[in-house]
Amino acid sequence: MPPVNGTFCVTVMSDRCINARMPGKCATCVEVCPYDVYAMDSTGHVHVQNYNACVGCRICSEFCPEDAIRINPAESEILVRSPWTFTQVEEIHHKAQTGQYMLRGFGAMGYRPAFDNITVVPSQIASPAPRDSYREECNLEVVIGEDTCENPVRLKYPLIFPAMSYGALSREARMALAIATAQTGISSNTGEGGLLKDETWLIKGYENEERTLKRWEPGGSLVVQWSTGRWGVSADYVRAGDAVEIKIGQGAKPGMGGHLLGAKVTEEIAAIRGIPVGSDALSPCRYYDVQDLEDMKRMVAFIRDVTDYRVPILFKLGPSRPYEDVKACVEAGADAISIDGLVGGTGASPAIVTQGVGIPTVALIPPAVQALKDLGVHRKVKLFILGGMRNGLDAYKAMAMGADGVGFGAAAEIAMGCRACMACATGRCVYGITAQDPELRARLHPEEAGDRLANFIRATAEEIKILTMLSGHDDIGDLSEEDLRATELNVAAITGLKLIGYEKRLPWWENGRRS
Amino acid sequence: MSLVVDARGRDLRSVSMELKEAVAKGPVLIREAAHLHGLVAGFKSGEVIIGGDSGDYLGVLNDGATIRVKKNAGRYLADNMTRGTVIVEGEAGYGVGAYCYGGTVVVKGNAGDFTAVMNKGASIIVKGNVGDEVATYMLAGDLVIVGNAGKNLGNYLIRGNIYVGGEWESLGHNTLLEEMSLADLAKLRGYLDEYGIQADPTSFRKIVRLSEKPFYK
Repeated sequence: MPPVNGTFCVTVMSDRCINARMPGKCATCVEVCPYDVYAMDSTGHVHVQNYNACVGCRICSEFCPEDAIRINPAESEILVRSPWTFTQVEEIHHKAQTGQYMLRGFGAMGYRPAFDNITVVPSQIASPAPRDSYREECNLEVVIGEDTCENPVRLKYPLIFPAMSYGALSREARMALAIATAQTGISSNTGEGGLLKDETWLIKGYENEERTLKRWEPGGSLVVQWSTGRWGVSADYVRAGDAVEIKIGQGAKPGMGGHLLGAKVTEEIAAIRGIPVGSDALSPCRYYDVQDLEDMKRMVAFIRDVTDYRVPILFKLGPSRPYEDVKACVEAGADAISIDGLVGGTGASPAIVTQGVGIPTVALIPPAVQALKDLGVHRKVKLFILGGMRNGLDAYKAMAMGADGVGFGAAAEIAMGCRACMACATGRCVYGITAQDPELRARLHPEEAGDRLANFIRATAEEIKILTMLSGHDDIGDLSEEDLRATELNVAAITGLKLIGYEKRLPWWENGRRS
Repeated sequence: MSLVVDARGRDLRSVSMELKEAVAKGPVLIREAAHLHGLVAGFKSGEVIIGGDSGDYLGVLNDGATIRVKKNAGRYLADNMTRGTVIVEGEAGYGVGAYCYGGTVVVKGNAGDFTAVMNKGASIIVKGNVGDEVATYMLAGDLVIVGNAGKNLGNYLIRGNIYVGGEWESLGHNTLLEEMSLADLAKLRGYLDEYGIQADPTSFRKIVRLSEKPFYK
């Protein structure tokens, strides 16, 4: 008899089970189970004789002719079956059967060093007194490009909707983002799928193309993305933005280009992108028209020239070498930089890439901030953190660590109604958020979803305000690492935050990370 | 008679500002502009003549202007053009016509590697030879190579046509040799006649895509 494992629950549904109806007629589970979990008695009845022996291989379930058996872990499969979890076994079977690797959306999942291992330090008697979030004001505004361009972007809150393209998202979801952006005075980003005409006036709060009917105040900002696939990009497209973002990478697949699978390339999307209907739009992993940093500087220069030096130039990075990458962006001429952490990624990606490539979000911030400080541009060149941001608490922590704001990608999709089923890449989103099928898309009403998104942003901004004021500040620009403590040794080591109880930074941080 | 802009020792912003004003009045000749990269970016109309060599990214995002280069062009000529015409009397570097959605690019000399990469609709005509990896992931448009091509020509071609008068070192993935039709010959003759290129259209071969969906099955 093998060693008892005892971590799986075996359920046989008697209404389906052939043996339960006709004893002796079926004993497939008894025959296939390698650990004698099942037994048949002298009357022909099958019963579970040893629950504790089940190791969770699910052979019985697979062979059961009536699909009557369910095997569920009593404890986490990561603990009791790793590395051969059910998911891992199924993935190997999929590859063996199809010759294809797995694709999915929605970023890395599972445990990573995270903001949850950081706590906020409130003000009491020894520090500046707390501010009253009910009766006093707090500045939450962030301005991008104040010293470098004629029309800086003013964000009412330190929050952005990062790049999610038309194609990855439905037309209705893009419109919802535009409506929410208009209601909250933040920014929305086209991603690399081209520009929907409606977005240009919706995002300013107008409900008609002529811009005579203003419906939503205060109006927001449109960021147009310039990327390696250059889908739908023209001089008019570049000039349509309140800012232009140069995409270097993204959290879902750093080091790879954007993926839009053929199932989502409809006639309209194909027309905007200039590709055949149903073909895969796979952006190059790098720019075909940039070979070094000098070329990137020239690219920034001509984009500024095409836009008549009016709008800020932003950069979007995947989670790689944050110190060096942020420095390079600043050298290239960035007015703001967004970095997407490992956890980030609403887009389709090979599963191994989305799950296992890149630096976790929380670990990106200290080196990125240090790079800005070393160049003397911290708080001038704005830093936005993306990747698994969920609420005002995450946002506050990122900002206290030195970021100027955060972006909500997956959380924005969830605010629209998403349940994180990870089927974004298939085009079968039942909530119409990432679907391109007209029937599924019809389930998402842009105004309702826009209102939900705006509510989420306002509530989150209020959370940031509460946390900022209870820690003794009335301006998000005054937040600092002193407002945080790491609750766990690893995160103290990774971030340089003071460790609870120890009340100091760990020794190798005492003189600064790059001393 | 062209208006003249002297770019010697000046930066992109100052030359570009003068050029934007001048081009509305008539053709503009720019002298000593080889050090400027991204000149004549995003113009919607007008005619600009580069008196000598040009820098990189000349005519990027061109949306209707006619640009002529008297000598050689740098890299990424007519990058991401949507409309207009760019004609180079000499040679052009890496990435001619990359990411173009429309318009016409003519290079009278040789053109570099990755010419017509991700071309999405432009007509790109090279009188001389081209380098390696030319027309990689081309999605639409025509590429005419009167001379020879290097390695991996048309790699992962999705749509559009490649016409080659000379030889190639190797073809890329997802390419297929197809018979020239009468329409192809007429189109090719039109290109060659319009830009004064002496070549026999019947000696060209045509390369098209093998599959519309060569990546994920």
